[in-house]
Amino acid sequence: MGLIRCKEISRTFGEKVALDRVSIDIPEGRIFGLLGPNGAGKTTLIRIINRIIMPDSGEVLFNGRPITQRDVEKIGYLPEERGLYRKMKVGEQAMYFARLKGMSSRDAMAELRKWFEKFGIQSWWNRKVEELSKGMAQKVQFITTVAHRPSLLILDEPFSGFDPVNAQLIRNEILRMKDEGATIVLSTHNMESVEELCDGIALINLSKLVIAGGVDEIRHKYGNNNVELVYTSEHPVSSVAGLFDVLSDTGDSARHTAVLSLCNGTGTTAVLRRLLDDGAVVNSFKELVPRMNDIFIKLVTGGEYVSR
Amino acid sequence: MDIRNIGIIISREYATRVRKKSFLVITFIVPVLFALLCTLPAVIMLLSKEKGKVVEVLDESGIVMPYLEDSDAVAFIECRDGDLDTLKKGLDAAGADAILHVSPLDSVRKTVSVDMYSVKPVSVDIKESISAMAASAVEDYRLAGYEIKDLKQILEDVKADIPVSTYTLGEDGQEQITSSEVYMVVSIVLTLVIYMFIAMFSGMVMTSVIEEKSSKVAEVLVSSVKASELMFGKIIGVACVALTQFFLWIVLAVVIIAGVNATVGLESLAGADPAQMEQLTQMSGMDMSMVDTIVSGGNSEMAAVVETLKDLNYGQLVFSFVVYFLLGYLLYASLFAAIGSAVDNEGDSTQLQLPVTIPLLLAFFIAFYAFEAPDSQLAFWGSIIPFTSPIVMLARLPFGVPAWELALSIVLLLLTFVALAYISARIYRVGLLVSGKKTTFSDLWKWLRQR
Repeated sequence: MGLIRCKEISRTFGEKVALDRVSIDIPEGRIFGLLGPNGAGKTTLIRIINRIIMPDSGEVLFNGRPITQRDVEKIGYLPEERGLYRKMKVGEQAMYFARLKGMSSRDAMAELRKWFEKFGIQSWWNRKVEELSKGMAQKVQFITTVAHRPSLLILDEPFSGFDPVNAQLIRNEILRMKDEGATIVLSTHNMESVEELCDGIALINLSKLVIAGGVDEIRHKYGNNNVELVYTSEHPVSSVAGLFDVLSDTGDSARHTAVLSLCNGTGTTAVLRRLLDDGAVVNSFKELVPRMNDIFIKLVTGGEYVSR
Repeated sequence: MDIRNIGIIISREYATRVRKKSFLVITFIVPVLFALLCTLPAVIMLLSKEKGKVVEVLDESGIVMPYLEDSDAVAFIECRDGDLDTLKKGLDAAGADAILHVSPLDSVRKTVSVDMYSVKPVSVDIKESISAMAASAVEDYRLAGYEIKDLKQILEDVKADIPVSTYTLGEDGQEQITSSEVYMVVSIVLTLVIYMFIAMFSGMVMTSVIEEKSSKVAEVLVSSVKASELMFGKIIGVACVALTQFFLWIVLAVVIIAGVNATVGLESLAGADPAQMEQLTQMSGMDMSMVDTIVSGGNSEMAAVVETLKDLNYGQLVFSFVVYFLLGYLLYASLFAAIGSAVDNEGDSTQLQLPVTIPLLLAFFIAFYAFEAPDSQLAFWGSIIPFTSPIVMLARLPFGVPAWELALSIVLLLLTFVALAYISARIYRVGLLVSGKKTTFSDLWKWLRQR
């Protein structure tokens, strides 16, 4: 059961189609990657989920019911372009955003104090934002996004602007909030963090949904039946028509490393049996799963996916 | 719209502004500046007078020279002999600034012609004073030609100066001595203040919208509240700042008047010495004709001024000011908010601002006619049509405006505000999230129709 279900969402701006019948299920309690090249329509979709703009057609369901302005209070949104009032004090500003998300002053104060303590930035409370460095301001912005304990977090490039130490801090907080039951939508171009954090993804390109599903599922789906074989044999293995092709083979008789491309419909058992029959000693045999990065490029450019 | 959210936004907009040092500074500096501004014309008049010009006079008629009186500005030296050409050549060496040549008397047309030669152009002031002195010389010469005994004295006796005392009739037929000039001054002050208030505070709304948009806070905000809540919260918050400032000024004015009253006494002002009054009024830069009437009329005129001031319906004035300021401000502030949302920085806003600033300026100019003719067609329509009415009506108000006109103008203003607020909110909602290319009027139209 998805926490957020987008059903056939379309939206145009004048002549330009920003989203064309996009349907996405965002499962509860998971980290969901929203991927796509710049200008694909991700921000429009996020804005529609946040009710900042309305779709031309289609609807967004929150917990199975059409989303309302009240539900938006349960969302925490960190836009890609960060923004704080430069002349306002950090603490007051955080209070302001928390209260606009429906928190009482007392709750907001207690929760914010906790976060400031956790991030070790209590001393910033009375400083103006313009006195902070960019990274410091990013931390404050992150706190303002999560302080009202949202059940849905939408983070657009959450790690940009952070040094590795602070990026790790934010990553741990995201994982912790996931463990506490929050659903997280991560929009990012950093495919490593997608592989590391996301359970599921959706990829949007040219206003359309290209693919959606679990990260592992997609990576396997886009594996083009390549396997990495490490073996010991007097003579290198050679291609077998109808079974597999040898794409590359390196090493000496003691230890060969080859990449095989299995023909369609070939089971791994048949391949292994053939290898053993040929007198090769198989040290390791593993499926080569493509990186998200490669899948992204393949799907977006429509070009051939090239194995490593 | 969510009242709680609007409340939170209003209190932030209000608190951040009122706590600024500049708010306190403006509250106390502006009245001082305003007072200075009033005395400025008098100071300029004093400083702008020319001094110590020397004019050589070649008077071939023989009648003009006695009438040329030396003053601070100019001194006349008669050159009995010598001709014009040599004087011209020696102008620099003689240390004079100009040569005045009066032709021989034309006995048929009984006049003279006067020419002036100088290296640097002669000022208008000097030229006009010489013209007047020469004219009276010729007039006296012509009068003498009639050979009537004591004609000059007769003419002097005939001259009259009749001041008009004005009274307004109350509903119970009670007569009340008034001073039209006081109404005019009150009207000018009201117009200046309301214009300044509307322009300043609605401009403040625009600046603040642009700031939110360019610092990208806007996107974070609209993910929590609706764009219309944000816009109205901001507009109302700034309105509260304006009312606070206005309230503080009234308190300040009451304190000052009470202070003056306690030390000098308004009543004593009514019986003040005319010479002293002249000084006082000149210092405050009042209209010269007004000074004349006050001074020539003596104590009764001054009494009229004080009576009028005392009898102005301050309650009504303050109330109307607040109503018209609020409505006028709301109207212009919502337009300025929409403009602010459409641009990325203040520089880009100039072009889009034009259709909004023009009616505002127009209102200001119409108000200047309303001082002089408060019941003219121009002033009437200016005070009914919503874009100009807040300012023009305030200019008419001290002279008395029928209740139905007030009601009509307020209702029209209110309706226009509601319509424009709706339009502005639709533009604002889209504009806030659009950045990059420069916005044109056709973009605004598209945004307006966007769902």
